[in-house]
Amino acid sequence: MKKTPPILDIKGLRIALPKGADRSFALEGLDLTIEPGEIVCLVGESGSGKSLCAGAIMGLLPVPHVHIAGGGIRFMGEELVGKSESEMRQIRGQSISMIFQEPMTALNPQKTVGWQIDEVLRLHTNMNRAERRARAVEMLERVHIPDPESAYNAYPHQISGGQRQRVMIAMSLALSPKLIIADEPTTALDVTTQLQILKLIRELQEEDGAGVLFITHDFGVVAEIADKVAVLCQGVMVEQGPADQVLNHPRHPYTQALIGAVPALTPPPVKPVLNSPVVLKGTGLKKTFAARGGLLSGKRKAVVAVKDLTFQLHEGETLGVVGESGSGKTTVSRIVTRLLECDSGKVELDGKDLLACTPRELRAMRSHIQMVFQDPMASLNPRKRVVDLIAQGPIVHGADPAKARDDARRLLELVELSPAAANRFPHEFSGGQRQRIGIARALALEPKVIVADEPVSALDVSVQAQVLRLLADLRDRLNLSLLFVTHDLRVAAQLCDRIIVMQKGEIVESGITAEVFANPQHPYTQNLLSSIPGRDWTPPSFRTDAA
Amino acid sequence: MTNLDAELSPPEPPRLLVFWHRYKRNRAALFGLAIFAIVVLMALTAGIVDPGDPLRRAGAPLTPPFVDMATPLGTDQLGRDVMSGIFYGARISLLIGVVATLVAIAIGVVIGALSGYFGGWVDDVLMRITEAFQTIPNFVLLLTLVAILGSKIEWITLAIGIVSWTAPARMVRAEFMSLRSREFVDAARNLGVSNTSIIFREILPNALPPIVVYASVIMALSILLESALAFLALGDPNYASWGNMIGQGRAVLRSAPYCAVIPGIAIVLTVLSFSLLGEGLNDALNPRQKKQ
Repeated sequence: MKKTPPILDIKGLRIALPKGADRSFALEGLDLTIEPGEIVCLVGESGSGKSLCAGAIMGLLPVPHVHIAGGGIRFMGEELVGKSESEMRQIRGQSISMIFQEPMTALNPQKTVGWQIDEVLRLHTNMNRAERRARAVEMLERVHIPDPESAYNAYPHQISGGQRQRVMIAMSLALSPKLIIADEPTTALDVTTQLQILKLIRELQEEDGAGVLFITHDFGVVAEIADKVAVLCQGVMVEQGPADQVLNHPRHPYTQALIGAVPALTPPPVKPVLNSPVVLKGTGLKKTFAARGGLLSGKRKAVVAVKDLTFQLHEGETLGVVGESGSGKTTVSRIVTRLLECDSGKVELDGKDLLACTPRELRAMRSHIQMVFQDPMASLNPRKRVVDLIAQGPIVHGADPAKARDDARRLLELVELSPAAANRFPHEFSGGQRQRIGIARALALEPKVIVADEPVSALDVSVQAQVLRLLADLRDRLNLSLLFVTHDLRVAAQLCDRIIVMQKGEIVESGITAEVFANPQHPYTQNLLSSIPGRDWTPPSFRTDAA
Repeated sequence: MTNLDAELSPPEPPRLLVFWHRYKRNRAALFGLAIFAIVVLMALTAGIVDPGDPLRRAGAPLTPPFVDMATPLGTDQLGRDVMSGIFYGARISLLIGVVATLVAIAIGVVIGALSGYFGGWVDDVLMRITEAFQTIPNFVLLLTLVAILGSKIEWITLAIGIVSWTAPARMVRAEFMSLRSREFVDAARNLGVSNTSIIFREILPNALPPIVVYASVIMALSILLESALAFLALGDPNYASWGNMIGQGRAVLRSAPYCAVIPGIAIVLTVLSFSLLGEGLNDALNPRQKKQ
C-alpha cells in the first residue's frame, strides 16, 4: 500500500515579528507533521507563538508586520507559503477550516445560524438552495444540537455557549475539510460543556479522517484528546512526541515544569479547622437581578443569582466556592464584600452584620474583609504607581502615608516582588506579577478574611502554580481565612479545606474537599468531577522545583 | 530563589518622553503646535511690539499694508494699527479660549461624572437638563445670555463656557459608565475609599485623555463663537479682538479687504492649530486607537 503524504508538514517554519517586539521571531524553526486522522496538540503558554502558527497555516498573518521569514508549510504535499491571497481563500474553508476560541465573536450576531452555515456552502460549492439547507441541517444534527430545524432559524444569542461552539464546528466541518485547526476551542466553556465538545471533535474527526491541529494551554485537555503533543516555549519547539510519552515521561525541563505546575486532583490533608472560631458567616443570602426592559426591548425575566445561601468560614480555613458560569458564585463574592447590595440575609463578620452597617460603619468594616480580583489588569488602577496602590487602603483608614508606603514596600517582598517594583505602573508587569500586587494590596489592611474571586484563572499554568503556592504559603504564615471562588476544580482541590458546590444559585453539596472529591453525593457534583479534563491522568511530579 | 515570574522588565522611559515621541510622529500636529506657539508668543509680546493702546489712532485711516513702516499691516477706517490689533487680539482669543474651555470642562466633568457614576435618577435628572441645553442652538443661547448679562469680556467668556459644556458632559458620562464597572473601582470601594475620592482620584484620571482631546475642540469653537459675537457687534468694544476687527472691516470690505482678511487668517490659523493639536493629542494619548 502506498503511504499517503501527511496532511500537514511544517518544516523549519520561522515567523518574524516587527522590530521592537520582545523577540525577533515568534516561531523559530518549527517542525510539525499531522497524519490523516491524527489529533496533534500544540501546547504553550501565552506568548509562545502557538496562535501565530495557526495564522501562518491559514495565511492569516497580519503582514507585513508579522510574516513568514523562512521554512515551508506543505498541505497535502502542496506548498502553502507564497500562495496568492485568492488561492489561499480557496483552500481556507474548503480544505482547511478553523474553530475559534470565542464562538460569540466568531459568529455574526445579525444573521441566523442557518444563514451562516449556508454562506459557507454557497461560497464553496455548487449546491442549490434546497441541498444547502439539507446539508446545513444535517451538519447541525451531526454536532448533536437538539432540534436542528429550529436551531437553523435561531440567532447566535438565542443559543447557549456550548451550542454556539457546536455551530462553529458544524460550519467548519460542512465542507469536510482535510485539516481542522482548533484554537483553544473550549477555553471559554464550562467544564461539562468542554468535555462534550472535546468528545464531539474526537468523534467527528474519526468519522471524517481529518487531521486536527489543536491549540491549547491546558494539559488536562491535552490528556483528554491528543494523539501527539508538541510543546512550544518562546517560539521554540522544545519537545514533540506521542501524547502518552510527553504527558507521563516528559524529557525537556520546560515540559516538566509545565506539567509539574498542573494542579493534581489530590486535596490537601484535612486541617482541624472546624474547631476554630467562625470569622465569617452568611445566613439566608438572596440576590435577584431585577427585570429590566424598556418600551421597545421587551420584558426580561428577573434572574435569581443566589437563593438562600448559608455558609460559615472558620479562622485559618480556606472555603472554596465552585460552580459553573451562572451558578452565582461571583455574586456570592460580591455580596459578602458588599460590593453588591443583597436582597435579604445576613453576613456576619466577627459577629457584626456587614449588611446592616451604615455607609460610615461599612467603610470602617471594609478593612477586615479584603478581596483579590479575577483580572489583575482591570483591578489595578492603571494610572497609579504600585506603592500607592498598595498603600491606598491603610491611608484611607487613617495610617500615616509615609509609614503606609514603607509597609507597602515590605509587602512587595512578602509577595516575592522586588522592592524596585514600587515605583512602576501596573502595565509594566506580567499577569502573575500583577496578581501578586493585588494580593499585596489585599494584605495591606491586615484583614481577617480575604475573598478571592477566580484569582488565578487569567494566568498561565506555571504562573498559576506560583500564585497558588504563594497564597497557600501566606495563608499558613498569616493564619488567613480565605473564601476562594473558582470554576477550576483542580485549583480548588489544591487549596481548599472545605468546598461548597453551587448550581443555579443554590448549594447542592458542601463538605471537606477530600470527602467531596472522593465521594460526591449530588449528581451535579458527580457530573462536574467526571468532566474535569484529563481526570484519569495524574501529572507526574518532578522535584526539579522549576516552578 | 529562581523565580522567573518575580523578575522585572527594565524600567520604562518617563511618561512625558513617551508622550512626546508619540506626539511628534504626527507631522500635522507638530505644525499645529508651531502655530499655537506663535499665537502664544504674539499674545505675550503684544505689549513689546506696540506699547500703546491698540485702539488708538496710529496713522492715516485705511493705509494699505506694507506702505507705512509704522503700521506694517495697514490701518482700518479709524486709523487703528491692524498688526497691533492682531497681537492684542491674540491675547483676547487665547484668554477666551482657555477660560471658556475651563468653564465648559469643569461643568461638563462634574455633571457627566455624577450622572455616569451614580446612574439611576441622578443620571435621569442631569441628562434631561443636559438635553434641555442641547436642544437650544448654541449660538442662540449665547446671544440670549450676552443680551441678559451684557457684553463685558468676563460675561462673554462665561456665557461661551455655559453654552459648550453639554458635549463634554455626555462624553465624561460615557467614560464613567464604562469605567465604573471596571474591577479597579470595585477594588477601591472595597478598600473603603469614599465616593468623592473614587470619582475624582480613581476614575477621572482614567477618563481624562478623551476630555483633553476634546478640550482642544472646545477651545477652537469658543474662539469662533467669540469672533461671531464680535462680528455681530456684540463683542466687548473695549478690547481689540479679531472678531471685532472683521466686524468693522466688513464696512470697507470692497475698498480695503485686508481689514477683514488679515484677522480672518489669524482666526483660521489659530482654530486650525487647535484642531491639529487635538489630533496630535489623540494620537499620543490613545496609541492603540490609531496604529497604522
